[in-house]
Amino acid sequence: MSFVDILIGIFDGFGVTASVTLWGMAYAVPFALVFGILQHFTTGPVRFAVTSIIEFWRSSPVIVLLFVFYYTLPTIGITLSGITVAAMALGLNIGGYGSQAVRAALQSLDPGQVEAGKALGLRRIQILMLIELPQAFKAMTPTFINQFIQLIKGTALVSLITLTDMTFRAKEISQLQYDPVGTYTALLVAYFIVCYPATIFGRWVEKRVAISERTQGEI
Amino acid sequence: MKFNLAFAIESLPLILSALWTTVWVTVASCAGAALLGFLLEIARRSSRAMSYVMRFVIDFIRSTPLLVQLYFLYFVLPFYGVTLPSFVVGIMGLSIYYSGYLAEVFKAGIDGIPVGQFEAAQSLGLKRLDVVVFVIAPQMLRNIAAPMGNYFVSILKATPYLAIIAVPEMLGEAMEIASDTFRYAEPMLTVGVVFLVLAVAVAQLVRLLEMRLLKSAKR
Repeated sequence: MSFVDILIGIFDGFGVTASVTLWGMAYAVPFALVFGILQHFTTGPVRFAVTSIIEFWRSSPVIVLLFVFYYTLPTIGITLSGITVAAMALGLNIGGYGSQAVRAALQSLDPGQVEAGKALGLRRIQILMLIELPQAFKAMTPTFINQFIQLIKGTALVSLITLTDMTFRAKEISQLQYDPVGTYTALLVAYFIVCYPATIFGRWVEKRVAISERTQGEI
Repeated sequence: MKFNLAFAIESLPLILSALWTTVWVTVASCAGAALLGFLLEIARRSSRAMSYVMRFVIDFIRSTPLLVQLYFLYFVLPFYGVTLPSFVVGIMGLSIYYSGYLAEVFKAGIDGIPVGQFEAAQSLGLKRLDVVVFVIAPQMLRNIAAPMGNYFVSILKATPYLAIIAVPEMLGEAMEIASDTFRYAEPMLTVGVVFLVLAVAVAQLVRLLEMRLLKSAKR
């Protein structure tokens, strides 16, 4: 098998890698927004509860989270498909990190923005939706892109719970061909092909955000 | 199979017996990653051509999953006659993966130092190495303490990956209990709790050190 053949064989698993990533995002983004906003607004015991939930998802090693949920849920009578468990564990882990970006972005806004909204007679929820979030969105986008890349890379773990993603395909090919050098080099290249455009895009966005931040005072 | 709490507690001492391995592998990997990251960043600054090469190397490291890098080292090195103990391969893998991130941290740290400091050191006739060691590094360390601490916590949380290449750290121990007894849920949950407690404790410790450092920097 030539290098290109191996690469094509590995990309057979791209569908699983992509679907775990996208389902993972479907867990990560809502979790990050809801819990980031809750952490920003709550105080006292409620805030402690919110922080605890975030810390649970953020501080546990992602590989351990995946194994815990994959092996423990069936013993308490919950059977989910591998893709669902993987998307949930990987996604909520990334969502935990994302929630901190949301909270930090909200906190970094000028308090005058909220006061102006109040002076206009807007309700608190309207201030959040119409004034705070649109501005915070800019500050949190670079982090979200970085976390998205982390999620793609994290999906390599699903090969350990027998999903046939790119990494799993590479292991299969390696067993059939006995060409570890070619196979694992191809696997590195495959992930690089998938992740590098996102890295470049993320860097570009980061630069744009920095520029608009710098010029904001001048307008 | 029903979840058996007594068995989960029973597996705790065995898992904790591997705590020491987790700790020293973490410490060794932090040192390796910091050293390698610093070298990558210094190399990136040495010349124009090197800056392109090193940037690509750093991007490549950051755009491929840790699991795949570990597989690469674990399966490819022996093919070339390099057989290393699995914990050495694991520490190498973690050092390489996180050096890509720490290089960026060092970059930000060095960029944060005013140009006047370089110029003053040069006008005093210090050699290039002396400039780095006595002028840049001490100031940089203060700038980068917080993000570097966060990455050290990430390295701790990445050590369970090494279980996959047969390093007997805590997750490895849990997997061994599981394959001996055919009960997966209980040891996985136990190891999850241990890692969560450990990661939260270390993160708090890092935050404390950070505040100390900031206080001493203000004077």
